Amino acid sequence: MKITSIKHVRGFHLARPVSIGVMLGIMLPLVLLPLLSIFVYGFGKGPGVFWSSLVAPEAVFALKLSMATSFWATAFNVIFGLFAAYVLSRYDFWGRNAVIVTISLPTAIPTAVAGFALLLLWGRYGMIGKYLSERQQIMFTPYAIILANIFVTFPLAFGVIKPVFDTMSRSLEEASATIGATRWQTFWHVTLPSLRGAIVSGALLTFARAVGEFGSTILVSGNLAGRTQTAPLYIFAKFNEGQIEAANAIAIVLALLSFIIFSVLFFARDWLEFAQEA
Amino acid sequence: MKAKMAIASDRDPHVSWAPERSSGVAASVQGISKRFKKSRVLEDVSFDVAEGESLVLLGASGSGKTTILRIIAGLEQPDRGRVILHGKDVTDLPARERGVGVIFQAYALFPRMTVEKNIAYGLKIRHRPRKEKRETVDRLIKLVQLEQHRKKYPWQLSGGQQQRVAIARTLAYQPQVLLFDEPFGALDAQTRVHLRREIRALLRQVKVPSIFITHDQEEALELGDRIAVLNDGHLEQVGTPDEVYNHPATEYVATFLGAANLLLGVAARGFVEIGTARLPAEKETRRFRDGQSVKLVFRPEDVVISQDANLPEGCRRLTNGVIEEVNFVGAYERLTVRLDLTHRKGDTDSLYQVTINTPQKMTGVPIMVTRPKPEANALRFKTGDRVAIGLTSFSVLPNYTLARQR
Repeated sequence: MKITSIKHVRGFHLARPVSIGVMLGIMLPLVLLPLLSIFVYGFGKGPGVFWSSLVAPEAVFALKLSMATSFWATAFNVIFGLFAAYVLSRYDFWGRNAVIVTISLPTAIPTAVAGFALLLLWGRYGMIGKYLSERQQIMFTPYAIILANIFVTFPLAFGVIKPVFDTMSRSLEEASATIGATRWQTFWHVTLPSLRGAIVSGALLTFARAVGEFGSTILVSGNLAGRTQTAPLYIFAKFNEGQIEAANAIAIVLALLSFIIFSVLFFARDWLEFAQEA
Repeated sequence: MKAKMAIASDRDPHVSWAPERSSGVAASVQGISKRFKKSRVLEDVSFDVAEGESLVLLGASGSGKTTILRIIAGLEQPDRGRVILHGKDVTDLPARERGVGVIFQAYALFPRMTVEKNIAYGLKIRHRPRKEKRETVDRLIKLVQLEQHRKKYPWQLSGGQQQRVAIARTLAYQPQVLLFDEPFGALDAQTRVHLRREIRALLRQVKVPSIFITHDQEEALELGDRIAVLNDGHLEQVGTPDEVYNHPATEYVATFLGAANLLLGVAARGFVEIGTARLPAEKETRRFRDGQSVKLVFRPEDVVISQDANLPEGCRRLTNGVIEEVNFVGAYERLTVRLDLTHRKGDTDSLYQVTINTPQKMTGVPIMVTRPKPEANALRFKTGDRVAIGLTSFSVLPNYTLARQR
């Protein structure tokens, strides 16, 4: 990306350093310093303390649980998002726009409301939950966390994949059909390769969002340490208990993880989109 | 499909791979009608394409030509009518079971596949053995002369090269018929002319029956063994380039393919009478009753003008006229001539009543005349010259008052 700016013929370019300075000055206390403080305090008592906080069994469990639940939620939402995008861009039916709006709705719903809604549906006295036996109950288990993650990250992958479907030339699929391919062959050999970039970025977005999910998870998981406590819940719990180092170690891991994911999204996007055109 | 391919592969692939039939008809469209929502797109369209023949569907945009192509390919369903390919009714078959090759307007090459993978695609989805795939790709890449480009991706190729890949990609699975959707629309004028000669030569080589659609009359005349002229959803005329150009069946055909002069007249006892002018047309007026209103249609290059009364042999005299305008337009000369159509016997002066340059007093009907360079150089005309006018070739068409009477 080439950045161009207005070139002045003469004089000191005051506008440039001032505007950059103002921008950074605003970002510093709002974004950069909070992130920095995690690292400063996390390593403040030496790497030994950081390490022992990190490998504490409850911490390890929380991280693993977060990864696992986010993974399954991501897998589901990418596959469903792909399917929904295909259906909604290839078929016209009554109420199609209503469905598109509904799919995108979870972005606008506060996560605590989402968790609460899930409890009302699946909870022991909920609409569906009351018909489940004691052993079938899913609230306050890892499945509830996956369910909550699916709900709040529902529109992300769909939102990335759908526009690519919409702009994709129909004649590619028609060409494939006239050549003799079945719908499935066309999808696999022609449609899917063009969606590769959108699928990867959709998955990364979904995963990043799911790992950090707090509001809905705390309601549906029960926040049981070593059983249903995810990494963000662990940070909250340890902070409440006054164990700042324990909370901080996990916070560093989560911050790094999201940093990595967004770096991949930012730098690998071009590579994913145009891998074969370089 | 499988049996057909087995037969075809026994033969020399360069000669012909279209299965032979005694009927000689490769593709047949019978009584196709189609509506989109409220608007009629096609109305009872029928035509045949012979084995190894190339047929051009010529029409303005919105004439329904693309819809016909899509119906033959199976990408669109007709409301009425049948599509027959090599004797088999395929109207209800999905696109993938018809075995037609479509060369899309923007080629629709698969962007994530190399040239060879694009070409091999038809065999890959048919799960053909690796050896057959390689041999087919080698043969076709050579046929379309893209040997140096086999590992390239579509975006690395020029428009013409992409089109050749698109053709090779369809030839790989031995289509029953090739359909070209405005194949040269996206190319510049020079490449266009060059490519269409190439494609013509290529089609002669592979002998696959083909249907082209275009709105370019020059393209149609050059590419088509026969031309089907489509206007507003119905066929106006199907015929060889010579037939549709020199003997247009309708006014639309006459004016859409090349320039044409059009005069209203009346058929009368072996003549076409236009005002006081009488054009002998025994054969051409035979199908009209005396007094029937007709249109006389003739091309600018079929007009002969002469300053003495002697018109060449085989040329029928129409009337006299005055040269109004002379233009040199590159390869030929274009003249505007005003016809005297009010001349009466005994009225000796009347030839000179045709006046020009004074819009108020201007009489006579203007026609367009073109002459090749040698003729224009041998005999020069200037504005105001009085000439005798004859026609070497013309058509007499009925003059319907209502379009629906067609």
